[in-house]
Amino acid sequence: MTTKDIVLVALFAAIIVVLGFLPPITIPLIAAVPITAQSMGVMLAGCIIGARRGAAAYVLVILMVAIGLPVLSGGRGGLSVLMGPTAGYIAGWVFGAFVTGLIAERMVRDGQPEVRQYLGFFLASIVGGIVVVYAFGIAWLCFSTGTPFAKALIGNMAFVPGDVIKAVLATLAARAVLAGYPMLPSRA
Amino acid sequence: MLTSLYVEGDTFLHRQRPGAKLALILVVGLALYVTESLTVQAVAAVIAAAIYFSLPIPFREAIYRLKPVLFTIAVLGLINIWLLSPHEALVSTLRLLAVVFLAAAVTATTRIADFMETITWALQPAEKLGIVRAADVGLALGLVLRFLPDIFAHYEGLKHAHAARGIAFRPLRALGPLIILTLKDADAIADAIDARGIRGR
Repeated sequence: MTTKDIVLVALFAAIIVVLGFLPPITIPLIAAVPITAQSMGVMLAGCIIGARRGAAAYVLVILMVAIGLPVLSGGRGGLSVLMGPTAGYIAGWVFGAFVTGLIAERMVRDGQPEVRQYLGFFLASIVGGIVVVYAFGIAWLCFSTGTPFAKALIGNMAFVPGDVIKAVLATLAARAVLAGYPMLPSRA
Repeated sequence: MLTSLYVEGDTFLHRQRPGAKLALILVVGLALYVTESLTVQAVAAVIAAAIYFSLPIPFREAIYRLKPVLFTIAVLGLINIWLLSPHEALVSTLRLLAVVFLAAAVTATTRIADFMETITWALQPAEKLGIVRAADVGLALGLVLRFLPDIFAHYEGLKHAHAARGIAFRPLRALGPLIILTLKDADAIADAIDARGIRGR
C-alpha cells in the first residue's frame, strides 16, 4: 500500500466511526429496528475506496474496538463486543466491504451510463453489505447461542428492509463521490 | 470525545502482560465451547463476573458498558428457552456471559499503548513476509484519531451550509459531500507524511 492508500484507509475508518455517532433513524413502518448509519459503512467503503482498502478500513475499526476505544454505534467498544453473540456481524464487515469492493470495481466504470453505475453500486451493496455480512453474523450467532439456523435466518429478516434502504443511500452517496472525486479506479 | 475503556488501577489483571490476558480469553473461550456442562459454565460465569465487578469501576459504569451486549445475550437466551430447551439456553447464556465478562475485564485493565505493543509484536511474522508493516498500523491508527475531529467539523459545516440556504438538513443525504470533503485531503496528508519521511525507506 502506498502512503496515500494508508491515508485513505485511515480517513475512511474515521468516517465509519463518525457514522456511529449520527443519530439512529427509525422508520415509521418498522419502528422496532432503528437504522444506524454505521453498518452502511460496509457498502460505502467497498463502493468508494474499493475491496482491499475498504476491508483494511474495517480491520482498523475493529482494531480500535479491540484496544478499548468505544468507536461502535452507541458508544460500544472493547473486547466484550468482539466476544459477544453478534461478533460475527462485526467480522462480516471486513469480508462484506471486500466483496462489495470486488463487485463495484468490476461493474462500475467511469463514462458508463449513470443507470449502470447506480445498478452496479446497488448490487455490490446488497451482496457485500447484506448477504456476506449476514452469512458471517448468522453463522456465529448460531454457533455461540445454539439457535437453529433457520430460526436465526428468519429473525434476521427483520433487518432486511432497513438494510435495503441503506443500500439505496449508499448507492446514491457512492455515485455522488464517483462523480465528484473518483477513487475506486485507483485500486490498492 | 473518545475515551478509552481502560480504568486506572493496580489489580492482579492490571499487572499481567496484554498477550497473556488475550491468551487467557482465547483458552477460556475455547474450553467453555468444548464443554456442555451446566456446572462448568455456571462456575466460569460467576468467576468471570466476580473478576469484572471487583475491578475499580463504579458499579453503574460497569453495567452501563456491557448493557448492549448483556441485552442481546438476554434476548437470545429467552428466545432459545422456547426454541431449544431451558437447559441448553442456560448453558449457552452462561457461557457467553463468562466470556463477555472476562473480555470486558481485560479491556478495562489494559492500556492502549500496551495493546499496541502486543499488536506490533504479533505482526512481526506478517511484516517479515511483507504483508503489512507494523509501523503502518500505528500510523493509520494515529491518523484516525487525528482526523476524527476534522470530520465532525466537516459535518457541522455541512449542517450550517444547509441552514444558511434554508434547506432542511438530512444527515444521510449529506454522506456524499461529507465523504468527498474528507477524502480530498488524502493527497495533501500523504504528501505531508512522505515529505517528513515518516514511513522511512
